[in-house]
Amino acid sequence: MKLTRRKMLGLTAVAAGTLAGCAPVARRLAADLPSDVSLPTGDVEPTLRLVNRVSFGPTPGELARVKAMGRDAYLEEQLNPEGDEPISLLLQLQRLDAYRMDAAEMEELPEELILSQLQQGTLLRAAYSPHQLRERMVEFWSDHFNIYGRKGSAAFRKGTDDTEVIRKNALGNFHDLLAASAHSPAMLAYLDNQVNVKGVANENYARELMELHTLGVHGGYTQHDVQQVARCFTGWGIENRFLHAKGKFVFDPEKHDDGPKEVLGHSIGAGGGEADGDLVLKILANHPNTAKFVCAKLCRRFLGHTDDATVAKMADVFLANRGEIKPVLKFIFSEENLSKSQPSQKRPFDFVVSALRATGAQSDCGKPLQEHLEKMGQAVYQWPMPDGYPVKPEAWTGTLLARWNFVAALSKGEIKGTVVDLPKIEKRSQEFAQAILGKADVRHIETASQKPDLASVATACLASPDFQWR
Amino acid sequence: MSQGCESYRVAESKRSEDFGWQISRRGLLATLSLGALLGARSALGQVVLSEDAKDHQGDVIVNVFLRGGMDGLSAVVPYAEDAYHRARPNLRLRSPKDASQGAAYQALDLDGFFGLNPAMAALLPLFKEGKMSFVHAAGSGDQTRSHFEAMNAMERGMYQMRGGVQTGWIARHLASTPRRTETPLRAVALSATMPDSLRGASHATAMESLTDFRLADPEMRDMLVSLYGSGQDVMTQAGRETLDVLQKLSKIDVKLDPKKYPANSLGQALQQVAVLIRSNVGLEVASLEMGGWDTHVAQGTVNGWLPSYLKDLAAALAAFEADMGPDMKRVTVIVQTEFGRRVEENTGLGTDHGRASTMFLMGGSVKGGRVFAEWPGLEKNQLDEVGDLRVTTDYRDVLADALTKRAPGSNPTAVFPDWTAKKQGFFA
Repeated sequence: MKLTRRKMLGLTAVAAGTLAGCAPVARRLAADLPSDVSLPTGDVEPTLRLVNRVSFGPTPGELARVKAMGRDAYLEEQLNPEGDEPISLLLQLQRLDAYRMDAAEMEELPEELILSQLQQGTLLRAAYSPHQLRERMVEFWSDHFNIYGRKGSAAFRKGTDDTEVIRKNALGNFHDLLAASAHSPAMLAYLDNQVNVKGVANENYARELMELHTLGVHGGYTQHDVQQVARCFTGWGIENRFLHAKGKFVFDPEKHDDGPKEVLGHSIGAGGGEADGDLVLKILANHPNTAKFVCAKLCRRFLGHTDDATVAKMADVFLANRGEIKPVLKFIFSEENLSKSQPSQKRPFDFVVSALRATGAQSDCGKPLQEHLEKMGQAVYQWPMPDGYPVKPEAWTGTLLARWNFVAALSKGEIKGTVVDLPKIEKRSQEFAQAILGKADVRHIETASQKPDLASVATACLASPDFQWR
Repeated sequence: MSQGCESYRVAESKRSEDFGWQISRRGLLATLSLGALLGARSALGQVVLSEDAKDHQGDVIVNVFLRGGMDGLSAVVPYAEDAYHRARPNLRLRSPKDASQGAAYQALDLDGFFGLNPAMAALLPLFKEGKMSFVHAAGSGDQTRSHFEAMNAMERGMYQMRGGVQTGWIARHLASTPRRTETPLRAVALSATMPDSLRGASHATAMESLTDFRLADPEMRDMLVSLYGSGQDVMTQAGRETLDVLQKLSKIDVKLDPKKYPANSLGQALQQVAVLIRSNVGLEVASLEMGGWDTHVAQGTVNGWLPSYLKDLAAALAAFEADMGPDMKRVTVIVQTEFGRRVEENTGLGTDHGRASTMFLMGGSVKGGRVFAEWPGLEKNQLDEVGDLRVTTDYRDVLADALTKRAPGSNPTAVFPDWTAKKQGFFA
C-alpha cells in the first residue's frame, strides 16, 4: 500500500506517454524527475494514528486518555460533540467582536482588526476545543467553501458565516451546509451572486458552485449548465434597504430571470422565482458526482490518498445516508481505513496548532503568533481563490524556514502571549521527546539536539521532518 | 475592420515582414536542426554544450503569472474592431483618435489596430523603444473555463489539463538542461507557496522576502543539518535545499531601495529578483505571481479595479526594467494568465471567464515594438463557443521560443509533452 511518489510518477508518466502516443517523451520526463520525491515511511502506533487523524494532534496526556477509553468511545465522543466549549476558551472567544457583532455594526472597525480576530478565534478553537473533529471539519469546509477575507466586506461577514454556516453544519448534512452557504452574505458577496441579475447573468457563483462545491470540474456539467444555473440564481442578494434586515439574505423578484431553464437535464419551469436556486442546490447536493467529489477530498484530507475503491465506498455511504456527514467520517476512521492510510502533510495552520497542543502551550493566539502563521503563507481566511488553501504537499515545501523559526521562538518562550511550561510535560529529555512526538524511538532527536535541555529537545522535535506529517 | 472567419488576419505591424512565425515546415525543420547542433546530446542523454553555447550562459527567465484571468481585451485593446465597441458599451476604451470622452478614455496607439490601456502608460516607452512586445489571442486549449484547470494546464506546460503529467514546466526545463553553476538556487518562487510550474523541481525554493530568509537562531543550523541529513520524503528533501539556500544567501549583500519600485507586491518581488540576478547566485528562472484579476463585477474602465491592477503591473515591470538597465540583456520576462475574459460585458459591468488573453514579453532578446497576433476577430461568428476570443497562439509557442533562444541546451519537446512548434520568432 505504501506507494511512493517515485513509483506513482513512473506509472503515470507511462500512462501519459501512451495517451499522447509519445513514449520517448514520457520516458524522458520520468528520467529527468528528481527520484527522491516521496512520502515518509515507517509504522505509526495505532492510537497516535487515530488521534492524529481525528484531531489536530495529541496534547500531553491525550494518548493515555484515548487508550483508557478505547477507540470506539473516543470516536463517539468526537462525532457527537456535546456541551459548550470549556469556560476558559469561551471567555477568550467572547472578547472577539468579529463573532459578536453583525456586519453592519462592524464596518466601523478596522478590517485588519477583524481579520486578526477571525484568525484568533479559529486558532483558539482548533488548539483548545475538546471537540477536535468538529474543528478539523471546520477547517475542511472553510477551504471547501472558501471566503477571501480581504474582498469587499467579507471580513465583517465571515464571523457569521463561520458560526451559522460552517461550524453549525460541520458534522451535519451536506445539503443543509450547501444551502446555508448559498444564502450566506459572505458567499453571496465573495462569488458575486449578490450582483447576479437578469440580462447577461454573472457566472461566478454558478461555476464555482458546480466546480468546487459540488460536482467537481469533470462532474458532468457544461458551459451551458453554468449559464443556466447563473440564471436560476439571479435576484439572490444581500438586503440593503432602509428599515429592512440589513445585511441579511434577500431575494428580489424584480432582478430574477423568470424564464424556463434547463439544468443538468432537469427542466425548470418558468415563474419559479427564488425556488429555482433552491431546486438547483437540491439537484447538486444529491448528485452522485457530488458524493464522489466531496468524498475524494475528505479521503485525501483524512487518509492521505484518493484510492478509487475507498472513495467509491465512501460515496456509497454518503448517498445511502442522504449527505449525512457523520456516517462518512465513521467509515473513514474505521480500523481498516486507518491502517491503510498514507502520511499526510501538516499544512502551516495544522503545524502551528499541533505544535501548541504537543507542548501544552497556553496561547492567546494573538498577533505575535499569527505573524508566524502568516510567514508560513497560511493566514486564516486569506486565500484569494475560491478553491481554498492548497493540499498538495509540494505546495508547502518552501515553508520550512518559517516553521523552524516558529518552533525556536515557541520553545524558548519568545512569542508574546504564548507561554510554554516544558518541565510540566516531563523533565527527562528522552521521555520528553517521546511525549511530544508520541513515539518510542527518538534517537535521531537526541543526536540532533546536542544539548539535553528541554527547549533544545522541544525545538528539535517540532523542527524535525517527523512533525511535519501526520 | 471585418474579415471572414475562415481566413485570419495577421494584425498590422510596423515591421510585419519580420513576423517569422508564418513560416513553412521546411523553415521550421531548419531552425530545429540548428538547435540540435547547439545542444548535441550524448548517448547518456547528458547535454554537451558547444563552445558557442558556453559563451552565452543563458538568460534568467522571469515568469509572472497573473492569477484570476486577466482581461487581455482591456490591457491591449483592439480599438479598430467595431465589434469590440458593441460588446463593451460601458467598459470600452476609445480609439486614440476618438476624444469624445476625453483623453483619459483613449487607448494609447501601438500599431494602428491595437492600443495600450492608458493605465499601463508606463510601458509605452519600452514598447516604442523596442524593448517589449505583446502576444494577443494567446492561451491554452482549456475549455472548462475553470481557473484551476486552466492554471494547472499552463503550469504543467500542457495545452489542456489531463492526468499523468504531475510536474511543472519549469521543473522539467531545469531537469532537461545542465546546471549552469553549482547552486541550490536555480529557480526561485517569490511566494509563500510553491507554484505548480515548479512542482517536482530540485534546486528550487519558495520565499517571500530575501531579507527575512535567515534562521532567527543561527545555532539551530547544526541541529537541522542532522535532522534533515538523510530522509527521502518531500519535506526532508526540501529541508536540505532550504539549508543550502540559507548558506548561499548568507554570502550576498541584500540592498533594497524601496523608492526604486512601486509599493505593490509584484514590485517588491521583482526587486528581490533583481538582487538575485545581480548577485550571480546561479538563478535561471524566477516565478512570480500577482492575483486579483477575476473581474466579474464592476471592473472599471479608467478608474477602479482593473485599471488600478494594470497600473500596478505596468509600474512594477517598468521599474524592474529601469533597475536592471544593461543587465536586461540577460533577462527574459514573460507575463501570462490562465485565460482572458468574455468579450461581452455582463450586467454587473464585469466580465466572465473567457479563453484567449494577452502575454507581455520583455528583455534583451524580445523582438519588441510589436503586437504579435493572428487575430481571430470579435464578430459573433468568429468567437469561441459562448462568445470568447479564440486562442490562435498556443502559449507554449512563446515559452518554447524563449527556451530555444535564451536557454541553451533546453529541450522544449521534453518540457512540453504534447506540443509541436507552430509559431516562433518572438525572441531573437
